[in-house]
Amino acid sequence: MIKLDSLNINYNDKNILKEISLEIGGHLNILGANGSGKSTLAKTICGLVEYNGEVYINEKNIRDLSLKQRAKLLTYVPTKLEVYDEFINVEEFVLLGRFAYKDSFFDYSDKDKKIAKNTLEFLNISHLGSHTLSSLSSGEAQLVSLASALVSQSEVIILDEPTANLDPHNAKTIAKHIKGLKKYHQIILITHDLDLASYIDSPTIFLKSKSATYFEKYEEFYNEAKLKELYEVEFDGLVVRYD
Amino acid sequence: MAWWCDMIRIFIWSSLLFILLASGFVGAIWLDLGEVFTQETLANSIFFELRLPRVIYAFSAGSILALCGLLYQSLFRNALMTPYTLGVSSGAILGAGIAIKLGLGSLAFGIASISLFGFFGAMLSVLLLLYLARFLKHSHFESLLLLGIALSLFYTSALMIIFYLGNAIQNDMLLRFSMGSLSIIGWNHPITISVIALVLFIVIYIYRFELQLLSISDEGAKLRGVDTKRVTLILLLVSSFAIGVLVSVSGPIGFIGLIVPHIVAKLHKKPTNKRIAKTALFGGFFLVFCDTITRAIPTQSELPIGIITALIGGPFFIYIIISRSKN
Repeated sequence: MIKLDSLNINYNDKNILKEISLEIGGHLNILGANGSGKSTLAKTICGLVEYNGEVYINEKNIRDLSLKQRAKLLTYVPTKLEVYDEFINVEEFVLLGRFAYKDSFFDYSDKDKKIAKNTLEFLNISHLGSHTLSSLSSGEAQLVSLASALVSQSEVIILDEPTANLDPHNAKTIAKHIKGLKKYHQIILITHDLDLASYIDSPTIFLKSKSATYFEKYEEFYNEAKLKELYEVEFDGLVVRYD
Repeated sequence: MAWWCDMIRIFIWSSLLFILLASGFVGAIWLDLGEVFTQETLANSIFFELRLPRVIYAFSAGSILALCGLLYQSLFRNALMTPYTLGVSSGAILGAGIAIKLGLGSLAFGIASISLFGFFGAMLSVLLLLYLARFLKHSHFESLLLLGIALSLFYTSALMIIFYLGNAIQNDMLLRFSMGSLSIIGWNHPITISVIALVLFIVIYIYRFELQLLSISDEGAKLRGVDTKRVTLILLLVSSFAIGVLVSVSGPIGFIGLIVPHIVAKLHKKPTNKRIAKTALFGGFFLVFCDTITRAIPTQSELPIGIITALIGGPFFIYIIISRSKN
């Protein structure tokens, strides 16, 4: 359950979202043009951005949670995996997702290591375990990013444009995984990829002019006329017309 | 892993260990092993009262410099970040310069006042930098580096005024301080600095997993449950204290914090949390190596250590900038 109560977000001295109140029982897709506040909303739900109003995840006000409690409740998968440490390998990186469960000072437990190993197997990327992150392709990096989120075993997973840098083949792999994960996690998906949004088939909010419009089923917006109204661009067979 | 990589590692580490063990015997007077361990000989007193404390001091100082380099580079996620590139050394020299100009720089009390002012110069420049960094966006650490350079230039200009107004004796003292030196007498400084090095190592080791996450990204660390503000502040304050004390005694010794974390990273190819002990050891070995060079080269008086580290570090600094732009 996600509940936003009179949410106002200012980012870099600019008002991004104004007086948003909504309550959604399960999964959610967030659509909107560039700069409409999708990522900012996601970061707000994660507690990374200052905000006015209240955000509740599964009845819990995120302000009242410690950072570790929050990490156990929700994870955020960024669009692009950017890591300064050039010598950390995939296995070591994925294990970091277990930080919130680790006792201070001590190393990650065998249980943590087993969960990390199983997650790599689940996503069919065990063979990448000893590779450094800087050597991965975009598709592999996105799977590793997803693995890092899954090891935290959080109730909610927020994915920020997971297919933005991917070729169709890799995008399909990621899409299938996301759809599969809906059985075990509450998925919040931010995307520009309308095909992905319709495939994932979750209730959707469209952010525009600092406010949110809610659609229960994707059929409600997944048509040329509605998309034209939302994105202010001509669509032809649900593909953007460039001529 | 290719066998020759292991061979290179073994060669480098064993060479450094050999230099550490041999260092105490090298200098204006080269010592004989047999005499050193004979009671009441000149060699015995030179070794135990001058050389051994100096080797321990150089080792601890090198560890502090290397650990601070690793810490700054991981926290700010930038290969060029060290307390020195951020203007801390210039702040310390300015502090020492003020002490000398105020006439506090003579006799026993004078030496203490240079150290005290140097320490406060280093600490204040770190605090000023942290304060100014609050106005930068999180992702703009390049701007922090520019801030450090701007502050360095400012401190240097202020120092020039002190030079301009100072007399020959004051200027000579200041010049020697600013070159960095490991010349110490007795055991007080080696004990203090080695205790500080140990404390710094323990604090960083306690926070090694948080540091590993911070070296990924600030947001990534926070999302996984790290109190990034608190951890960053603790680590920066402890390291600034260590650097402040070190600079106040030995003057600025540049480039160790820049070079050593890079060499250890390339040599071992391990993530940050598995490089802490190796970086501390390598930093210690490396500064002892540089210090041994200053004593081994026969000159009228000993070469200042800061010159040797800068001669090695300068080209390395250029190499890092070029290799970064290639990536």
